[in-house]
Amino acid sequence: MNNLNSLQYFLPELFLSASILIIIIVDLLLKKDKKIITAYLSVLAVLVAFFLAYRQYNYAFTSLFEGMIVLDSFAVYFKVLTALSTIIVIFISMPAFRRHSEYYILLLVVTLGMFLMVEVNDLLMIIIAMEMVGIISYVLAGFNKFNMKSNEASLKYVLYGAASTGVMAFGFSYIYGLTGHTNLFAIQQAIVGHSLQPLPVFIAFVMVVAGLGYKIAMVPFHFWVPDVYEGAPTPITAFLSVGPKAAGIALFIRFLITVVAHPASQTTFIQNVQIQAPLLLAVLAVVTMTLGNVSALGQKNIKRMLGYSAIAHVGYMMMALVVFNTRGFTAIMFYMVVYMFMNFGAFWVVQSMTPHLGSEDISAYKGLGYRHPLTAVAMAVFMLSLTGIPPFAGFIGKVYLFAAIIKQNWYTLAVIGVINGVISLYYYAYVIKVMFLDRDEEIKAISVPLYDRVLLWLLLIPVLALGVYWGPLIDLAHNSIGFFFGN
Amino acid sequence: MTGFYIVFLFLVLGMLIVAVTLLLSRLLQPRKREKDKFIPYECGIVPEGEAWIQFNNRFYVIALIFIIFDVEVLFLFPWAVVFDTMGMVAFVEMMIFIAILLVGLAYVWAKGDLNWVKPKPRLAHLAKKKGE
Amino acid sequence: MEATQVLFWFIAVVTILSAGIVAFSSKLIHSAFALLATLVGFAAFYVYLGADFLAVAQIMIYVGGILILIIFGVMMTHRIYDTSKRTAHNSLILSLLGGAAMAAILGMIIFRSPWTATVFKTLKPTTSMIGTSILTNYLLPFEVISVLLLGALVGAVYLARREEDEE
Repeated sequence: MNNLNSLQYFLPELFLSASILIIIIVDLLLKKDKKIITAYLSVLAVLVAFFLAYRQYNYAFTSLFEGMIVLDSFAVYFKVLTALSTIIVIFISMPAFRRHSEYYILLLVVTLGMFLMVEVNDLLMIIIAMEMVGIISYVLAGFNKFNMKSNEASLKYVLYGAASTGVMAFGFSYIYGLTGHTNLFAIQQAIVGHSLQPLPVFIAFVMVVAGLGYKIAMVPFHFWVPDVYEGAPTPITAFLSVGPKAAGIALFIRFLITVVAHPASQTTFIQNVQIQAPLLLAVLAVVTMTLGNVSALGQKNIKRMLGYSAIAHVGYMMMALVVFNTRGFTAIMFYMVVYMFMNFGAFWVVQSMTPHLGSEDISAYKGLGYRHPLTAVAMAVFMLSLTGIPPFAGFIGKVYLFAAIIKQNWYTLAVIGVINGVISLYYYAYVIKVMFLDRDEEIKAISVPLYDRVLLWLLLIPVLALGVYWGPLIDLAHNSIGFFFGN
Repeated sequence: MTGFYIVFLFLVLGMLIVAVTLLLSRLLQPRKREKDKFIPYECGIVPEGEAWIQFNNRFYVIALIFIIFDVEVLFLFPWAVVFDTMGMVAFVEMMIFIAILLVGLAYVWAKGDLNWVKPKPRLAHLAKKKGE
Repeated sequence: MEATQVLFWFIAVVTILSAGIVAFSSKLIHSAFALLATLVGFAAFYVYLGADFLAVAQIMIYVGGILILIIFGVMMTHRIYDTSKRTAHNSLILSLLGGAAMAAILGMIIFRSPWTATVFKTLKPTTSMIGTSILTNYLLPFEVISVLLLGALVGAVYLARREEDEE
């Protein structure tokens, strides 16, 4: 579709871009103590973008802007998800970030980048969309610029990010050189049509996986994760482990389906280039979750622990990538939503409790179950849900992930996954133990503002509700990916 | 494309001229080694402290802003080349591009990042005394 | 040897030597200035390959902008002479082996693969082609870049700004 006609299918992104410009100008007109208004405007803007994106759900598959991006229900599913994650993170940030409107402007730019990431269909757009999310994330990670840890987080993020983008762009240059196209569909045709040599395609594939793997914090491209997650402002840590990661996984899935999958079936990898994608992905999944879980065991800082746990969860989701069928992708898409709520929940507890506890160490949570029971119980629910214990949402998500791989006879992978779940129980349960079983002699009750409690409930309810009634969401995920496969 | 041979020629010529001048002065100059000659030249006075000083942070901010608009200018070149064949469409497309970046300019301008010197009235009391 | 080949080897030697200085120099400022030669060398390669616009872009953005920023960055560093003199090497042998292996694999791919996208044999100006592309087929990336630049500007200036200037 040509550029002018594409605009009508591009409303959420257009609206977001316009909002960014308007909010920058509004910020210049506001007085210093009124900057929080930009946060309200940002929430409003993302909400509108959320509904505009949601309305696109029933559109048929459309190729937009001369094939630069495509609109399908898969993209819409992830657009809605990432918009939701931005809304949540703005609500989480509002109490702490009142002085700087740049924070909210940058979050909107990231959201636009994530929208583009989930619908790209061209190598050039992949790089631009990923850089849009990446570059702004570097700034956000270092947003507390007088905090040395925040600076360190930002710097490490930049260095790793630049290197991984470079590697990925190099891989793209191979793909372009081999096929002569930047459009993903055309590349697929070229790979199937020509008899390409396996080695260059394999190396290019590995390079692209490196770039995408960095974005989703996959081992061995995870070195930045612990330091960045510990040093970045807590809301940004939560956001990075949900929003950009979901967009990265969506891009990964799209790249696999459009480029690496065989066009006839779309559920098997291309055979004539022998890139051994399933085995490679399986090994990466195992390494990712094992390393994440084992490293999380000894952590004293709760943000660092959650950072390693985020790596482990990427590993779980990658398991379902290995089987490469509708069932697996549905499980990932469902899990991503569940993970968003429980992870944001855990980070919100950290964010709202840190001023009261005075520290981000796990030991500071001692006796929280008696100082503020609601928060502690909610935290316990998030921890159990992250472990994957019934009757919480995390359990359902894990069941779908494991069902997808067992159905395709990846038994070893499933067993390793279960062992990992057991390991993770140790460090998640440790937090619960500290909160409820250790107690001081005198209990100093904490008074939590109404805003904090309401937000806590809003994050808690989906985790509880999806644990008992998950049908509609799984159907939605299934339909979205089914659309992709053209059935 | 042959234009680049001219560029190359200029490059070689430029380097030659510099080399020849330096060589000439080297041949012609009288040479007396003195200690003072190895001191960095500072307007004829004896330099104080090290030659290496920490630069003002302002340079960095300005350079950052410069790069952003440098990239913008870069896109103007190909646009200008095809402008007469594409006409109005090209004009509108480029205006959108520039308008978005103009918001950025407005931002740095209004926030005072372009101000080189912000006089701080630290010596206000002295100024007053002088006025009396 | 033809003149163009002599030119090629000249550019290659200058680029690689200066890149070596960037990596191994004991003073940060020397690395920064050696980078100048490396970047200009790349621009020369672009010319050599017939990508005239890219060469100008390389000079304008990298030499004219980013290198200046790097040098400012070096000059703003506190007490530059007290910092450790040399880039640390955890294991010189291992990194050499890793680099050699990487070079071998990449070299094999570059020389053995049937590349479909080839360099134009006849050199012609590319600027108008690029202009047409960014205004038609690649319009979306072009416009998205402006939003990306805007975001980068706001973010970078926020980080570089001194807070007391705002008060």
